[in-house]
Amino acid sequence: MKEFNMVLAGVGGQGILLSAEILGTAAIKEGLNVRVSEIHGMAQRGGAVVSTVRIGEKAYAPTVLDGQADVLLGFEPFETLRNLKFASEKTLVIMSEEKIPPTELTAKMMPYPSLKEVEEKIYSFTKNLIIVDAPKLAKKAGSPLTQNMVLLGALAATGKVPIKTESLLDAIKELIPAKYLDINVKAFKLGYEFVKKAATKS
Amino acid sequence: MLDLRILLADSPRKRVLLLGNEAIARGILEAGIGVVTTYPGTPASEIGDSISEIAADAGIYMEYSVNEIVAAEVAGGAANSGVRALTAMKHVGLNVASDFVMTLAYTGVRSGFVIVTADDPECYSSQNEQDNRFYALLANLPCLEPSDPQEAKDMTISAIEISEKLELPVLLRTTTRISHTRGPVTYGKLTKPVLKGEFVKDVKRLVMVPANSRPKHPILLKSMEKAKEISETSPYNKITRKGKSGELGIISSSAAYNYAVEAANLLGLDVSIMKLGMTHPLPEKFIGEFLKGHAKIIVVEELEPYLELHVKAIAKDYAPNIKIYGKIGNSYFPRDGELSTRIVAVGLAKMASKKLPINFEVIDEKYAEVSRNLPSRPPILCAGCPHRASFYVMKRVAGEKAVYSTDIGCYALGAAPPLRTGDMLTCMGASIGAAQGISKATDAPTFAIIGDSTFFHAGIPGLINAVYNNHKIIVTVLDNLTTAMTGHQPHPGTGWTGMHKPAEKIMIEKVAEGCGVKCVKVVNPFNLKEAEAVLKEAMKHSGPSVIVFRAPCALMVARERRRKGTELLACKITDKCTNCMACVKLLGCPAIIFEEGRVSISETLCNACGLCASVCPYNAIECAK
Repeated sequence: MKEFNMVLAGVGGQGILLSAEILGTAAIKEGLNVRVSEIHGMAQRGGAVVSTVRIGEKAYAPTVLDGQADVLLGFEPFETLRNLKFASEKTLVIMSEEKIPPTELTAKMMPYPSLKEVEEKIYSFTKNLIIVDAPKLAKKAGSPLTQNMVLLGALAATGKVPIKTESLLDAIKELIPAKYLDINVKAFKLGYEFVKKAATKS
Repeated sequence: MLDLRILLADSPRKRVLLLGNEAIARGILEAGIGVVTTYPGTPASEIGDSISEIAADAGIYMEYSVNEIVAAEVAGGAANSGVRALTAMKHVGLNVASDFVMTLAYTGVRSGFVIVTADDPECYSSQNEQDNRFYALLANLPCLEPSDPQEAKDMTISAIEISEKLELPVLLRTTTRISHTRGPVTYGKLTKPVLKGEFVKDVKRLVMVPANSRPKHPILLKSMEKAKEISETSPYNKITRKGKSGELGIISSSAAYNYAVEAANLLGLDVSIMKLGMTHPLPEKFIGEFLKGHAKIIVVEELEPYLELHVKAIAKDYAPNIKIYGKIGNSYFPRDGELSTRIVAVGLAKMASKKLPINFEVIDEKYAEVSRNLPSRPPILCAGCPHRASFYVMKRVAGEKAVYSTDIGCYALGAAPPLRTGDMLTCMGASIGAAQGISKATDAPTFAIIGDSTFFHAGIPGLINAVYNNHKIIVTVLDNLTTAMTGHQPHPGTGWTGMHKPAEKIMIEKVAEGCGVKCVKVVNPFNLKEAEAVLKEAMKHSGPSVIVFRAPCALMVARERRRKGTELLACKITDKCTNCMACVKLLGCPAIIFEEGRVSISETLCNACGLCASVCPYNAIECAK
């Protein structure tokens, strides 16, 4: 098997590291070799956060080579764009609609670009793009903090990640405190259904 | 988040996904280490944090010491009393601890003692990217370098064994990509820690006055000869791949090894690869024989050409005509920053005259197109951070002419616009000392900005100096009641310990008074009027003054609120707003955003601190607080 390469990108506080840990834990449950990279500290204070997950026997380095991501999971449009160097025409980009304006943009009194503009830039790399209204689905699940689960659910529904959905759910159960588990699983399912429904429509 | 109790599982052969630092924590339990000390610092923090969570259950003693040298001293004292010990710190922490460590190499230890140094190539969370393998060389201490979480665990145990064999402390050197990489770790057996030993008095061995230390130096050098024998047969020094032609050989260690293997695969190179896990002292014969068997050698390592220097010296005796490529003379790899599979592949391709299968230039060009004008997103002070209020007050009272000597912690982020309250920053505690020189050499009002944990760590000697030599500086201690930047560890002002036990708080204002500071004030920075008055008074004072700006970290407040289930009412902009942008220009709060041509406040980001409401010239912001 060729290695599976994935990049998760967003803003500190969006639950990116937890999502990567869930993917890694699920891979272990299936007896796979996995590497997950994280950046802590400075990067968490509202800064840009990137985490990578690599699955496969020959995955030694935790980081993904430019142009080699199978999936780019974007938690925020700007951060999705910022990490397109990992993408190629083969990459599937799953992106949340959640816009978090960087303070630089606010200071310059510049509006956040429309999703259409962001979409076009992504298209210059790949046509495989799924945009998820993660804020809306997370709210529906019970908390805006569950957007990461919505995105993981969406990812699972695409079948692109070489891990079974049950393993992902097992990992979620293992890593999320019991108190918050129900709404997180609900968010995961809403993300999953969203992609499945979109697939039957097209 | 991982339930860290999984580290306690008494189930050998269990396979778990662990962060490199968590793997070291498991190694601590398998090695029977009884005393663990640390001062938090990225990328080392989770070693101490993991142990802190499980220490009581594991039956070991753990503490967050006041700084790295004290951490090393506590652990070193235990290791000289028959208890296995480990101390963990970030790379620059070893600078602080080095005074003790350099001479502990002379006294040696009676039980295993591991010093973990976590280096940070690329300065992800650090002020420099020094290569601490040179400390092993400088101090004459053995050094192990893991390349993944499994090795991080295994080498913690091996480091204890080597330490006891040689009666020397052993360095375990990781980097960000080892400490902060998750990977599968297969457990070994747990060893019950021994918590009590015996301090055997031996003045000649342990009291390093000149007459005793002089003879210890040759003994240390002799021990390193023994260490070299260990290195020659160490299972961590191995050839992981044999090339067919014997033309090309790679020598590598740590994270760089992973990139080297993947880059060689990518290029389809016919190459032998030597992986070094014990990198001080190096296995001279083992490397020498490897050199003899090849025509060209390429050394792939991160940061300084540490291995390359040694390999070149070894080549002089073993294979004088061999060609060695790396960073010296012919720069195939950079000496600064972090390596990557791409950087290593490009270097290897150039050296071996191979074509890269991926056209990186095309990717770069396309990426430049989409990333042009992309606004940057550096780390910033959180919404609701009390430091923002402190900086706002300082700026309002002292303005641009004042010099702000700042320090290591979240508050270093105040250097960015619009707050711009950071003019010099180097290392832990330096704010106070440097401010004194600046104040002496200029007539500018001079501030030292230092956090609570940093004040305890290295601020106090500087403060005493300011008092005794009567330097006119204003020391502002930004006390958010925690060590925030590294993940909210306790410090002597918090009232609890690494063992999760309560302790008597040491109050910063009392320390300042005890040091002889005459003007000491404590104020909540969100109380702008009072804070302003206090600051003005301090600026009039003829000698050093200390102002403690005290308000809890916004992340702790938010966590507490979530725990209690209290609802938060975000600040709101009313129709009195003239869109003057004062709040944006003065505060740079991430919760204040610009939408459809107007300023607004993000409900999800706002922590309702009310600072924006206090500074709005039109009273156009409502805050429920």
